[in-house]
Amino acid sequence: MKPAAFEYAAPSSIAEALALLRTQDGDAKILAGGQSLMPLLAMRLARPSLLVDLGRIAGLDSIREESGVIAIGAMTTKSAIEHSDLVRTRQPLFHAATRLIAHPQIRNRGTVGGSMAQADPAAEYPAAALALDAKMRVVGDAGERIIDAADFFVSTLTTALEPGEILIEVRLPMLAPGTGWSILEVSRRHGDFAMAGAAAMVALDAGRVRSARIVLFGVGPVPLRARAAEDAVAGKPPAAATWASAAAHARDAVEEPLSDSHASAAYRRHLAGVLVERALAEAVTRAGGTA
Amino acid sequence: MTSAAEEKAVAASRRIRVTVNGAPYEAVVDARLTLADFLRADLGLGGTHVGCEHGVCGACTILLEGRSVRACLMLAVQADGRSLTTIEGLSRDGELHPIQQAFVEEHGLQCGFCTPGFILSVHELLELHPDPSDEEILDFLGGNLCRCTGYQAILRSVKLAARRLREPNAPAGIPAEQA
Amino acid sequence: MPDEIPKTIAGLPTSKARFIGKPMQRIEDPLLVSGRVEFIDNAALPGMLHCAILRSPFPHARIVRIDTSRAEALAGVRAVVTGEDARRWTAPLATIPDGWGVHCLAVGKVRFVGEPVAAVAATSRYLAEDAIELIDVEFEPLTPVVDAFEAMTASAPLILEEKGTNVVYQRKFSWGDVDQSFRDADRVFSEKFRWNRLGANPMETFGVIAQWDTVEGALTCRGSYQTQGYMALGVSAVLQIPANRIRMISHPHGGSFGGKGGTRGTCIAAMLSRKSGGRPVKWIEDRMEYLIGGAGQAWDRHYEASLATKRDGTLTGLRVKLVDDLGGTPEGAGAISSAKPLTSFTGCYTIPTAEYDLTLVLTNKLPTGPYRGMGPPPHNWVLEQMIDIAARELGIDPAEIRRKNFIPPDRFPYEIPTGNEYDSGNYEAALDRVLEMGDYRKLRDEQAKARADGRLVGLGIVSTIEPGVFDWNAYAIVGVPMMGVPEGATVAIDLFGKVVAKVGFSLEGQGQYTIAAQLLADYFGVEMSDVRVVAQDSLAAPPHFGPGGSRLGVALSGALLGAADLLTKKLVRVAAHLMQADPSAVALMDGKLGIQGVAGAEMPVAQVAAVMLTRSDLLPPGVEPNPEATYVWTAPGRTVADENGRAKSYLTAANACHLVRVEIDPGTALVKIDGYWIADDCGVRLNPANVEGMIQGGVAQGVGAALLEEYVYDDEGQPLTSTFMDYLLPTIHDVPMTEKAAIVTPSPYTPLGAKGVGEGAMHTTPAAILCAINDALAPLGVRATESPASPQRLWKLLQQAKPNP
Repeated sequence: MKPAAFEYAAPSSIAEALALLRTQDGDAKILAGGQSLMPLLAMRLARPSLLVDLGRIAGLDSIREESGVIAIGAMTTKSAIEHSDLVRTRQPLFHAATRLIAHPQIRNRGTVGGSMAQADPAAEYPAAALALDAKMRVVGDAGERIIDAADFFVSTLTTALEPGEILIEVRLPMLAPGTGWSILEVSRRHGDFAMAGAAAMVALDAGRVRSARIVLFGVGPVPLRARAAEDAVAGKPPAAATWASAAAHARDAVEEPLSDSHASAAYRRHLAGVLVERALAEAVTRAGGTA
Repeated sequence: MTSAAEEKAVAASRRIRVTVNGAPYEAVVDARLTLADFLRADLGLGGTHVGCEHGVCGACTILLEGRSVRACLMLAVQADGRSLTTIEGLSRDGELHPIQQAFVEEHGLQCGFCTPGFILSVHELLELHPDPSDEEILDFLGGNLCRCTGYQAILRSVKLAARRLREPNAPAGIPAEQA
Repeated sequence: MPDEIPKTIAGLPTSKARFIGKPMQRIEDPLLVSGRVEFIDNAALPGMLHCAILRSPFPHARIVRIDTSRAEALAGVRAVVTGEDARRWTAPLATIPDGWGVHCLAVGKVRFVGEPVAAVAATSRYLAEDAIELIDVEFEPLTPVVDAFEAMTASAPLILEEKGTNVVYQRKFSWGDVDQSFRDADRVFSEKFRWNRLGANPMETFGVIAQWDTVEGALTCRGSYQTQGYMALGVSAVLQIPANRIRMISHPHGGSFGGKGGTRGTCIAAMLSRKSGGRPVKWIEDRMEYLIGGAGQAWDRHYEASLATKRDGTLTGLRVKLVDDLGGTPEGAGAISSAKPLTSFTGCYTIPTAEYDLTLVLTNKLPTGPYRGMGPPPHNWVLEQMIDIAARELGIDPAEIRRKNFIPPDRFPYEIPTGNEYDSGNYEAALDRVLEMGDYRKLRDEQAKARADGRLVGLGIVSTIEPGVFDWNAYAIVGVPMMGVPEGATVAIDLFGKVVAKVGFSLEGQGQYTIAAQLLADYFGVEMSDVRVVAQDSLAAPPHFGPGGSRLGVALSGALLGAADLLTKKLVRVAAHLMQADPSAVALMDGKLGIQGVAGAEMPVAQVAAVMLTRSDLLPPGVEPNPEATYVWTAPGRTVADENGRAKSYLTAANACHLVRVEIDPGTALVKIDGYWIADDCGVRLNPANVEGMIQGGVAQGVGAALLEEYVYDDEGQPLTSTFMDYLLPTIHDVPMTEKAAIVTPSPYTPLGAKGVGEGAMHTTPAAILCAINDALAPLGVRATESPASPQRLWKLLQQAKPNP
């Protein structure tokens, strides 16, 4: 399982990287952590003429607090995020999502930018980004732009990045005080891709759910915001009946579930409901209310 | 001596300089050569084993500046200027590292093919968690597959290694009941 | 011939065995933990080329045209071979049953996705993979047949046209009056089961370096060979060169779990070596090749079973109907796996009659190969389910129904209806031990409380036979004609009293070199570090098999003890001569040859050996100047199979009793194993740490079989399981840490009383886990009958469950 031949470049600046992408007319691939790309190269499913390695560009791997937002450079490894006190304390949902990803050896190389750009339907980071209204800072020949997470994930393995654009930063809001959160998934084995997953945030007000954010993953081409489920819990007491109602709406929201030998569409839809119930209950305990 | 051709920004091969087990190496490598194949074939360090070539089995795990990584998921060119440790770098003058010794004492291996990958993962684990809980051990080793042992002796080996690194004179073996 | 192979450790010529029987550290381990063992992919020869194989993308197709010119023109390519070369240079591969073989590179048509069609030798594996993409093959797709039952019909596409059928074997065996048992039964229970393909997946795939000698027409192969001698015979037949011109050198290998040998790969590499003018050619099977085209798929089975019982729980008859889907050809020894169940067909029980309706059929999938257990694991999984079904219906506790039907300890050796003989056992002791370890009553009480809370908690208690020390006659019903699996070893003592053991196999993981060191150190009164074990190649070694069929601990100890005894007889003659005593008065004890009853009249073994090697003038007439002896052990008392397949085949019958607790999450249908207790009786344990490792390793593979591992083909015959993202091996999270106890009922037949245990818990764990799952589901009125019990399958059952009244 050896890759087909390609040329390789390791630019030392974004400008150089953009220039390289421009020359290849779409036949170049960006190499970030390589944890998703290398298997595709080994299986010859990806056959780029040029690999542009972002690993030598300085300044792309920092985690900073900036105007109430956590700015994470695209080349920051998942391990660095996992070990960041800033992320753990101020954005615990994103931290928990990180801990669900694969295994430490993969996290030591895999990057946040690579994960977002890969847009695997079963991945945790795109779902967390959608749940948190993350913003993607993207740079291209036309300059810089910000893409909201809601617009970033377009379809299976497809993002809003135009050819020749590079994701350079992921910007996460900090979790508002008193917000409960949860991210749960069901996979065949610990660290495998999720057959279904749910990320939830809940804000309580006088013992009732003021608002909720519910995002499903692994059940469609992109992470799915379960708005009807969110509406169904707003204003309701944090109780089993409320969660069951949310689950029913969540299942209805699953329109194009994936289906493979591990999990059929029907089973994934069912799991989506189960996980929404459990995630909401867990989120409420973190918000300080009872489930 | 470097030539202009070797230093081209875009090329199908590159000159790289890598430090492996403390020793410097220099070579011209194809861009597509994996780090695992470079270590094994070009440097003759055959202790890093290849089990799947897609990053799942963990047999190829090495240390990149102390962090455990899959050598099959890196290109040799990405290791330019970096410092690596392979299993060959663990023993000193033929004397086994305490982690290696613990695996021997607790029968933590059978065929031995996955073992270097486990030992190097354990090396990082014990640096981060010198007194790891079962949960921390499982979390760290969940990505290393073993087909022979069923993992129970590996768990015992890790616990013994942890004790030995904390107290170098700790006695041999731990009672089976503690596993 | 030595008649003094001791039957117990106490019979060894030592006043206190310091090593054998103890959990000694393995002598293999320091090299292994240092990463310095030469697995085949660590070996290189001057001028070596690298092979890549082009494989069929179609499950069934005619090969119209192959054009290799573009591949041959690629820089770095030195040789290309296709079916034309295979037709010219090779005979079809051997099959079991005989006569269904095809060439190692497809000739005329392909019969499964992954079948080798062409191969390239180039200066690197990277270039070789580039080259195979340049080979143009024109295929004419044919309709594939993927379902075993469809393959049996008259209108199914024929896989081997010249045979006129896809049914390779069809026979119904009856042992005892099974019809009478079923007529007289109070209750008869029947069920259908589906066991899906799974397989060995050692962490190291197969690899070979083949070198053709163009001058002598001879071949040397280095590789991850489990059994080099028999591989040489197979390769000799295919490549049509005399067996004594083939030298197979087994390298230490990273596990096998079935049969690591790669006849196709070896022959393809050999042809490339020949075509390149004799350059060594290395082929390392990559993981995707292993998964879709290697030896790694086994047991694609459709079962129907019936159990006849009395209302008091006595089991009186067992009927098993098996349709076994062997894939595209029977070259992978999948048929052997369907014969082996005869060795323990009725399990631990006194079931007096049995029937086996066996059909072996071909489909357009990978030929099935060997896997640990070689057939009984699915059979036991079926048998133990049937017993649990009976227990549930009759209102008898599953532990008690088993106890009631156990073969009692005073009935051994016990001949089962299918003809094999169990050497010894004490099944009730193992059952009681495991029930005590797990506190069975408390587990049942806790289960009752959990059920009241709506939780799905289940207990599985199973008891199985784990047959050991295989012999060929176990496979007589599928046409294997031989008897007597040999294991030869040579024991030598050098000038300095150090011991060398020469054997015909290399490291595979079971710690056999350590057993050798333990045994010979105790025998000759030296330290384990004074014993070296060396592997000899297939031409140099005496007849051998190596690991397989849970034999090597027993067979190797037999070979070493036999050789040690022959060697000791020589040493005795020399010592007696030197001490001017009668040889009958001289014996070996604690490393010295002494005159019995005469204190101080003794000579150390080292001294006697030194005399033999350096003072020929001092030797008695007729003794060679050679302190070395060779012995080839084979199992005693084996019998020729009769026309019903009845034979004394596997020499030993280890027994395992497993108690498992599972809980099924009613929302996600995921299974958690949260308690696992084992009592294993494999007789005398030559190295208890090795034995525990074999057991726990078998548990892990059993968990994989029960819950995770499955090769999936779509309806068009395309394999969907081609990476480790699809084929799920158990991780450290998935395998329970088990509590183990040893029961020791020595074998009366083996050297030192050990029983084979290498395949171990793989016979038992799948059964135990499914029994526990079905116990958990029982209140819902549904039953899992397909492997693996994946969350998806269990969820479907939960959907069908009847609501509580």
